[in-house]
Amino acid sequence: MVNFTVDEIRAMMDKKKNIRNMSVIAHVDHGKSTLTDSLVSKAGIIAGAKAGETRFTDTRKDEQERCITIKSTAISMFFELDDKDLVFITNPDQREKEEKGFLINLIDSPGHVDFSSEVTAALRVTDGALVVVDCVSGVCVQTETVLRQAIAERIKPILFMNKMDRALLELQLEAEELYQTFQRIVENVNVIIATYSDDSGPMGEVRVDPSKGSVGFGSGLHGWAFTLKQFAEMYSEKFKIDVVKLMNRLWGENFFSAKNKKWAKQKEPDNKRSFCMYVLDPIYKIFDCIMNYKKEETELLLKKLGVVLKHEDKDKDGKPLLKVVMRTWLPAGEALLQMIAIHLPSPVVAQKYRMEMLYEGPLDDEAALAVKGCDPNGPLMMYVSKMVPTSDKGRFYAFGRVFSGRVATGMKARIMGPNYTPGKKEDLYEKAIQRTILMMGRYVEAIEDVPCGNICGLVGVDQFLVKTGTITTFKDAHNMKVMKFSVSPVVRVAVEPKNPADLPKLVEGLKRLAKSDPMVQCIIEESGEHIIAGAGELHLEICLKDLEEDHACIPIKKSDPVVSYRESVSEESNTMCLSKSPNKHNRLFMKACPMPDGLAEDIDNGDVNSRDDFKVRARYLSEKYDYDVTEARKIWCFGPDGTGPNILVDCTKGVQYLNEIKDSVVAGFQWAAKEGVLAEENLRGVRFNIFDVTLHADAIHRGGGQIIPTTRRCLYACLLTAAPRIMEPVYQCEIQCPEVAVGGIYGVLNRRRGHVFEEAQVAGTPMFVVKAYLPVNESFGFTADLRSNTGGQAFPQCVFDHWQIFPGDPLEPSTKTYTIVQDIRKRKGLKEGVPDLTQYLDKL
Amino acid sequence: MSANFFTNDAIIIERQIDDLPKLVSTNPDELSYIYEIDNCVKWIQNHNFKKVCLQFPDYMLTDASEVAKSLQNRLQQTVYILGDTAYESCCIDYIAAAHVEADAIIHFGPVCFSKPTETTPCLRIFEKYPLDLNKLRLVLTNHANSIIVLDTPYAVHANLIRQTFNNLIVITDDFVHTASSVIIVGNNLRKILNFKLAHKLTEVFYYDPITTTLTNYDEDLKVLKRRHFLVETIKDSITFGIIIGTVSVKNYFSAIERVKKLIRVHGKKYYVISVGKPTVAKLANFLEIDVYVVITCGMNEIYDSRDFYKPIVTPYDMETALNPHWKDSHFSYDFNSYLTDLEISKEDVDNMLDDVSLITGKVRTSVKGMVVEDVGSEVATRESGALALNTNFGAGFLSQRGWKGLEQNLGCDQPDTVSEGRRGIAQGYQNETL
Repeated sequence: MVNFTVDEIRAMMDKKKNIRNMSVIAHVDHGKSTLTDSLVSKAGIIAGAKAGETRFTDTRKDEQERCITIKSTAISMFFELDDKDLVFITNPDQREKEEKGFLINLIDSPGHVDFSSEVTAALRVTDGALVVVDCVSGVCVQTETVLRQAIAERIKPILFMNKMDRALLELQLEAEELYQTFQRIVENVNVIIATYSDDSGPMGEVRVDPSKGSVGFGSGLHGWAFTLKQFAEMYSEKFKIDVVKLMNRLWGENFFSAKNKKWAKQKEPDNKRSFCMYVLDPIYKIFDCIMNYKKEETELLLKKLGVVLKHEDKDKDGKPLLKVVMRTWLPAGEALLQMIAIHLPSPVVAQKYRMEMLYEGPLDDEAALAVKGCDPNGPLMMYVSKMVPTSDKGRFYAFGRVFSGRVATGMKARIMGPNYTPGKKEDLYEKAIQRTILMMGRYVEAIEDVPCGNICGLVGVDQFLVKTGTITTFKDAHNMKVMKFSVSPVVRVAVEPKNPADLPKLVEGLKRLAKSDPMVQCIIEESGEHIIAGAGELHLEICLKDLEEDHACIPIKKSDPVVSYRESVSEESNTMCLSKSPNKHNRLFMKACPMPDGLAEDIDNGDVNSRDDFKVRARYLSEKYDYDVTEARKIWCFGPDGTGPNILVDCTKGVQYLNEIKDSVVAGFQWAAKEGVLAEENLRGVRFNIFDVTLHADAIHRGGGQIIPTTRRCLYACLLTAAPRIMEPVYQCEIQCPEVAVGGIYGVLNRRRGHVFEEAQVAGTPMFVVKAYLPVNESFGFTADLRSNTGGQAFPQCVFDHWQIFPGDPLEPSTKTYTIVQDIRKRKGLKEGVPDLTQYLDKL
Repeated sequence: MSANFFTNDAIIIERQIDDLPKLVSTNPDELSYIYEIDNCVKWIQNHNFKKVCLQFPDYMLTDASEVAKSLQNRLQQTVYILGDTAYESCCIDYIAAAHVEADAIIHFGPVCFSKPTETTPCLRIFEKYPLDLNKLRLVLTNHANSIIVLDTPYAVHANLIRQTFNNLIVITDDFVHTASSVIIVGNNLRKILNFKLAHKLTEVFYYDPITTTLTNYDEDLKVLKRRHFLVETIKDSITFGIIIGTVSVKNYFSAIERVKKLIRVHGKKYYVISVGKPTVAKLANFLEIDVYVVITCGMNEIYDSRDFYKPIVTPYDMETALNPHWKDSHFSYDFNSYLTDLEISKEDVDNMLDDVSLITGKVRTSVKGMVVEDVGSEVATRESGALALNTNFGAGFLSQRGWKGLEQNLGCDQPDTVSEGRRGIAQGYQNETL
């Protein structure tokens, strides 16, 4: 049944201008996988009648059962475009001469926020994105998130309005109302696009426009879809107007009067909006005829449209007939294919402007130029964006995109992990690629080699990479940039095997799990507890299930979910803190104070970071946060791990030997920033100032041994005197529901310390959107609670937003924060209570 | 002015010394009972020892002279007091005794029962703590048939307790039993832990004579769990510090050699460090070291401490992490209980799977997969000032440090005017204000 062979695909891979790498992105339940089926069936991989139900790209059993996509799935397909459509491709870099075939590498991604790391990984290896929006619910939180990410990665979007069948059958919208809905969605999408890019940028015009054909309409479930191009083609003969011109007429404020055959720019009593008249009316008519069983009218209509039904379909009526008719008249695969081939960029086009976003090294070295030119004869540059489990337990395909050169079975390549720095040997391996393969949804096909511009899988490099990495043949290549995720692993569970003897299997399983998911963190704590950290409850649930069934294959006990906290301060230290070294001959004088709002986030986002030029950074800090410029120039380091959201500032004046102890003080700072004084959690948003240092004149008495532990003690004293606080992670939560359920939502949120900051009706629908902040710690069981309090009508999407101070003094035994601190200490096996200040603060 | 070069006497005399167990001061009447003077005399006379050393833990040193005096009076020969033991006071300090070529040692105070390296005769005199027998009977009435183990300070009460409880055992160096659950009388948790681990007991209760309560001891779970973390740390580490924490426990030298071998076969680097009693300040001097392996006696509390800059591990953890054939799953602080000589070949190590670290989340850089181009043959360029570019170990670490020696900063810093500096000594300069 499949319309193409692997050899054909391999031949297409060399015609890089005819390749389209694209991902399908959307809010959860807007119908990505269902829509993808239309293309898959057009490629002949599944039967047309099954399209929309198979969800071919949902390859896992649980994905099929839950009707939710969990992992992104790639599939390569080959199509041919008609001559009449080829003329629409005007850019010479978008098509090889005399070639009608197109290779589409499509990645279907999950829509639930908990899995957005999968979307990030998919976007990295593609150049275009099909944004699917349910025209009934409109643009939702996740639509915005993924679209924003796409724009940031310089991925060109096209839009598809899905679920038109619902709008017509369930909501029974009038044509004009439906137009307004479409118009609003297009506007919303374009507003988001405009916020994160501008038309003068390197990508050119990014906005979507129905009159250009970059917006599709239809129903993935029923398998029909169209763009204005299809309708313009139908009418261009009749009107004797060029298709392109007609497309412009079919959208926006264009009205046609059937009586005097005149176009107008305004609504007048005797004219009608062209989109409603020429596009929606025929569709409405078909729906009306078939759903109301008007047999004769239907036949007449079909004849007029030129739809010929197959023999076995003739007896159908009602919905099944509607499906067949619509699918025959406006096949979704065809419309999508045209949108993709005409409007999404080829690798040749895309890599030109994406290279500078992708490559860490100098933008004019051999690798950079090869990526920019998509040069198959240049050095190999491939980015591995995720690991896909194989049927062979514990082994993975490294899935990624070849940006330049070619990757071939058996070739020797350098495998560089995210911590590789040129010239060093850390995270660098030189190995032969065992096999290159083509990902075909649930199947894989072995393939001899893959040239640049394509997406493929590799066998045999999984041992050298955890999640992502760069593969190259160029000795001086730098890494491709690591991906930035929109979600953070803030929810954690501790796991242990039911049978203690299975521990090695658990550890092995955790290591596999760490590979198989782009974002999950598998950690062992100092206490020896094994922790899995994920984006949310659903994410963790899936991870645990995978761990138990696929990776470790043993029964597992898990703790209740907990969140990770951060330690911070709320005031400046109320006293100058002095700590003396063990030999009493060196003294450090420091104070802690909270960072101004926003600085910690700036550091997280990399806007302020340790690699910046110190002068530029100081200027930024003084302009935005009123920091003293001379002090801001003397930021010794960030921490923990040299990059975290805490800083150590040298505010001393004329101290001798200070440079000599800097390394030791920094080491002590990293230590204290990683393990705070309250419960050995990471610090966040704390600035430490060193005001004075007195050192022994003899170098041997001011070595690391004297300074490191003393620095830590002094920093602890600073923390304890600066009104320490703990911070908890907070979700931004978007809940969509009908008006009647809004009251229930408030009740649930109040009980869970959440607060609503926005409430609005989705224009044109009876739905309300409530946006709220909800502490992650209170989010466990939130979905279920919300459903039971709103009669199952409210569905929340929670995504980590920020850290917030948990009110209450953790040093005061009566507070909630004290209890939290004690719980953490107990879990970590630390002494009860909070360490006493006198342990750290010395007197002169 | 001259006074400025010395620490003020008053400060030294008045300085508070913290974190030490309370010094004992025994009533002269009880001296002969507590220190079993009669026993000691008899033992020395029976064996006809000429040079006898008395070893006291620091907090008992206050009584040392009295004990020595009374022994000398009775024996009419000199006895030597060993104070300030080089390592742990629970181990017998043969090295110090060897300084006077002693032919016998009497050890007072808490004892660890580590197997000694030498065969110098040794008598152990335990501490003697009071025990309220009635309360003990009351608490343990329901456990009349359980095996009861007496910790050394209470061994003196053994005969009295035996009247009530049949299954009574005193902790001594050799002791065999078959039960899986015992009750220990004592409150030295570390000793209880070691006892539980050494005898592979599944359940241990302990009766604390001070609080007179019976508690289920399960702290070992914490200790065992922490091993997982330490094993991961070891696998991540590249540079090891092997700390000699004892010279009196049997096989300590083989243990060091064994650890060295494990490290070497993995292509990692070690430094052997001997600093007497390891302290936080001493060990923080070695910034380049990732983890410390301490070879010491099982009673050493350094393993539990979390104050050290880098983690402290036992040779057991090293075996678990680095020996691909290691199957023993009975952890013990006493390396003599598991010390092995098992051969590990380079191939075995190479066959260990490359894996992901659960601490850093990175792939572990094993030596075999690393790119081997130009190892060590790179000649340093003149400007960098380095001699060899070996990025993995000590030299590589040093090259990453910020402080590389005096910098002239010519032309960078403004010239400063001369101003008056500090006066005094590091202990406290005169012009210092807080």
